[in-house]
Amino acid sequence: MGAPVIEIRDVKKAFGAHAVLRGVDLDVAKSEVVCVIGPSGSGKSTLLRCVNFLESYDSGSIRIEGKLIGYEETQGGPRRPMSTRKLREMRREIGMVFQHFNLWPHMSALGNVAEPLERVRGLSAAEAGERGRAMLKRVGLADKAEAYPGRLSGGQQQRVAIARALAMQPRLMLFDEPTSALDPELVGEVLEVMRNLAGDGMTMLIVTHEMGFAAHVATRIAFIDGGRVIDVGEPRKVLHESREPRVRQFLQTYHDRNAF
Amino acid sequence: MSFDVLWRYAPSLASGFGVTVFCWGAGGALGVVLGFLIALGFRAGAAPLRWALRVFVEVFRGTPFLMQLFLLYAGGPAIGLRLSATQAGILGLGVYSSSYFAEIFRAGFAAVPQGQVEAAMSVGMTRFDTLKRVILPSALVAALPPIVNTLIVLSKETVVLSIITVPELMYQAQTMAAETFTAFEAIFALAVFYWLLVEVVSRLGRRLELMATRFLSHEAL
Repeated sequence: MGAPVIEIRDVKKAFGAHAVLRGVDLDVAKSEVVCVIGPSGSGKSTLLRCVNFLESYDSGSIRIEGKLIGYEETQGGPRRPMSTRKLREMRREIGMVFQHFNLWPHMSALGNVAEPLERVRGLSAAEAGERGRAMLKRVGLADKAEAYPGRLSGGQQQRVAIARALAMQPRLMLFDEPTSALDPELVGEVLEVMRNLAGDGMTMLIVTHEMGFAAHVATRIAFIDGGRVIDVGEPRKVLHESREPRVRQFLQTYHDRNAF
Repeated sequence: MSFDVLWRYAPSLASGFGVTVFCWGAGGALGVVLGFLIALGFRAGAAPLRWALRVFVEVFRGTPFLMQLFLLYAGGPAIGLRLSATQAGILGLGVYSSSYFAEIFRAGFAAVPQGQVEAAMSVGMTRFDTLKRVILPSALVAALPPIVNTLIVLSKETVVLSIITVPELMYQAQTMAAETFTAFEAIFALAVFYWLLVEVVSRLGRRLELMATRFLSHEAL
């Protein structure tokens, strides 16, 4: 097996005096689906946002297929931020799906998917439209191509957002609580799309509160608290056999909340 | 009220109205364009430029238009800026209003949710494409109502141009009043013409806003 698709080493990050990440190590291998769980404020989303450098990290390293993101490779000495052009080139290969979808409201569903293909991949309008439609079909929204985000349900919007990221043919996908802003009855359709993606062998790093999804789809689960990875391993091991008191405590409250 | 005085002076009042509309249109257009460029500078410029623009906006927003106009028209020649009264009036209106338009555009840019910008960054779009394709469409629609509002306010600021003898509506009305001792008729004429202008502008503005909102949101219709 070659280098992991994502290699996170001793990543630290502080917002002012508040340390959010206190030395995180995590690898994601090709075609792996790693779910990151943990209490809110634990640094999960910040970690995810560091992977495509929407958020900068203070020290440590994050490598995408072996290439350091956000900073120029240096041998000792202070490191310099990566040029915006190089950063853009790396980001093209990293799909990202946001909690609040972040669709562009003045473009149709198809427009949202086709826009980056035209602007970034340099496809013609016709090619972009064709690939865009194929992507919308893949997430089950072939009939909504002309609809604007404001007319779509949350679940449909999120599926458009997934299609937008997917159309770029990324090497890996990041999901930042993709179902947290959705009404409960709309969560399933989004998870279904993600499950299919995982089945197709996409490398995925997912921050989520959907324990059921994590249990069934993840190859591994990482539990984060206080800016550190407390436990990581196969879903069964983390969810049912963890020796870490904080993991057990978190899962206990989770079970209590969902018992009725 | 003496209508035959109004009738007699109708041609000069009408020409004054024409000059008012022209100065207002040209000055407002200049102000919108300048203001937009200033707001772009705020967003993308280097720190010294942003600082200079901030001073510019504060000075022209913070001092009376009358004073600015006097300085420009009377003081301009001292720095080699020789302008006719009308040229000075248009330039003055443009610079003065640009400070307001700059703030309107800045607020419009800021109103675009950061998430939309992050989505563009995450797919690797350039800053220019992000500005052009993602930020501007939303920002301009958000800026439209306050722009129309400021244009309406500006239409009434044009009366100040009479002080430097631009032959606009106020100037013609004052001339009429002085020549015929008909203060009330002059005020009446001013009121009717300005009300007419504002009414037309605000109706046009409302229609534009409606179109813009439809273009942008497509939601909650």
